[in-house]
Amino acid sequence: MTVVIVSFLVAFVVAAYLTWTAGRVERLHDRCAAARASLDAQLVRRAAAAAALARDHAEVLGERAHLLRGAAQAALDAGEDGRELAENDLTRELRHVPWSGTEPVLADVVTASSRTTLARHIYNDAVRDTLALRRRRLPRALRFGAKHPWPRYFDIDDGAFPR
Amino acid sequence: MRVGLVSPYSFDVPGGVQAHIRDLAEALIGLGHHVSVLAPADDETVLPSYVVAAGRAVPVPYNGSVARVALGPISLTRVRRWLREGHFDVLHVHEPFAPSLSLLACLAARGPLVATFHTATPRSRALAAAEGVLQPVLEKISGRIAVSELARRVQVEHLAGGGVEIPNGVSVERFAGAAPLPGWPGDGGALGFLGRFTEPRKGFGILLDAFSRLAPERPGLRLLVAGPGDADEALAGLDPALRERVVLLGLVSDEDKARMLRSVDVYVAPNTGGESFGIILTEAMAAGTAIAASDLDAFRRVLDDGAGGALFRTGDAVELARVLGGLLDDAGRREALSAYGSTAVAAFDWPVVARRVLDVYDLVLAAVPGEVTGDDETLPLPEGLA
Repeated sequence: MTVVIVSFLVAFVVAAYLTWTAGRVERLHDRCAAARASLDAQLVRRAAAAAALARDHAEVLGERAHLLRGAAQAALDAGEDGRELAENDLTRELRHVPWSGTEPVLADVVTASSRTTLARHIYNDAVRDTLALRRRRLPRALRFGAKHPWPRYFDIDDGAFPR
Repeated sequence: MRVGLVSPYSFDVPGGVQAHIRDLAEALIGLGHHVSVLAPADDETVLPSYVVAAGRAVPVPYNGSVARVALGPISLTRVRRWLREGHFDVLHVHEPFAPSLSLLACLAARGPLVATFHTATPRSRALAAAEGVLQPVLEKISGRIAVSELARRVQVEHLAGGGVEIPNGVSVERFAGAAPLPGWPGDGGALGFLGRFTEPRKGFGILLDAFSRLAPERPGLRLLVAGPGDADEALAGLDPALRERVVLLGLVSDEDKARMLRSVDVYVAPNTGGESFGIILTEAMAAGTAIAASDLDAFRRVLDDGAGGALFRTGDAVELARVLGGLLDDAGRREALSAYGSTAVAAFDWPVVARRVLDVYDLVLAAVPGEVTGDDETLPLPEGLA
């Protein structure tokens, strides 16, 4: 009799743990997806601010205006694969503008840049947590989260205007 | 925005983390936000209007010192109630892995969570052991802030977390406007030190050594010391003839701390380690006082590699004496350091720092939908155990 009760208890605890772990994996993937959407929105804002800067100050920027507008457009158009490279190119172009980060003309670009950095940290933290759990033995063996692709870090240099 | 802040340590005792939370809360309120702070405290303790007491705090040794923390079922019940009634847009816990309220709040809460990590003790055994066990808690925290590069590194090494670095703030106005203590700084030169002078890593012994070297040739030179500790023990090695030129204020209030910093020609930070950020340096900068500091990583950062204050080799009393002598003789250089400091410290002013924290809130809100609730029952922890 005791054996039966103990077996039931053990089975219950194991089931609860598995359910909880499966839930964790799902919640982490949700977190990654939401953080990624927010990061994408910030990247679009940054590129749009850069494009506006190139358009509104074309005279001061000279031939740089053309390059900046091109880099901003390329960042907006980039697909999943080329995104990081295109964003890095945009950062490089932004470093060439003849103003310091404190000048009002750059206010929109600087705000968008720093928010991009924050959004990237938030996304990469979500990826790190997700990978940490999915790489453990139990989730791998039971294929928890297998319907989701493995999340990828988003690694770019977005510090054009360090504070 | 409705913000819930959680302090792991009791407000009855002064401390860096509590001061940070109080100043952040006041800065956020000043920017027009609604803030509630949950902190361990007796129901009888008189607290600022925005602080909610979460029950009695018990002293527990943690991270090299004694922290007053709150754990247990009563605290957990209060945490849940506070979360339920607060309707917070964002929950911001401090030191989530200290065994106290912040950890309870992380366990109970669901929704947009932000955490600030203050600890910068490398290889903390508590953290190393907690790795893995605390991963489910860390997973719930979408926005992570470290107050210094050092704190960030500790977090990266132990917890495989990243996070953004947002420095400690300082209330520039409070320091810049303080009146010097009567009779200070005087004509003969005045040096200042603040902190627990009996604690070796604060480096007070190094300053006393340097003072003993300078004092014989500078008959007017005085040393002003603020902080808790036994005076006789701290000054035991000092030449009795110099004893009356060292003035000890004991533990000072925030107001007197600002006045004390305004009362000296040079503020000295001879620490030998264990400093995460060096908030006292930003306070001295805000007060417009020239600084001499050991060349610890944390100090170099705050002082822009020497532009905002004179650096000397950590632990070297002879070099400290030389640096101090140079500063005392050169009013122009002191003024230049003070001017640089006053400009540089603007980046640490609390309203500026609080706006950066708000940016983190905004982005966490963009990534985590919904308001904060206190009903996470998904962690397999019975209430009594938590």
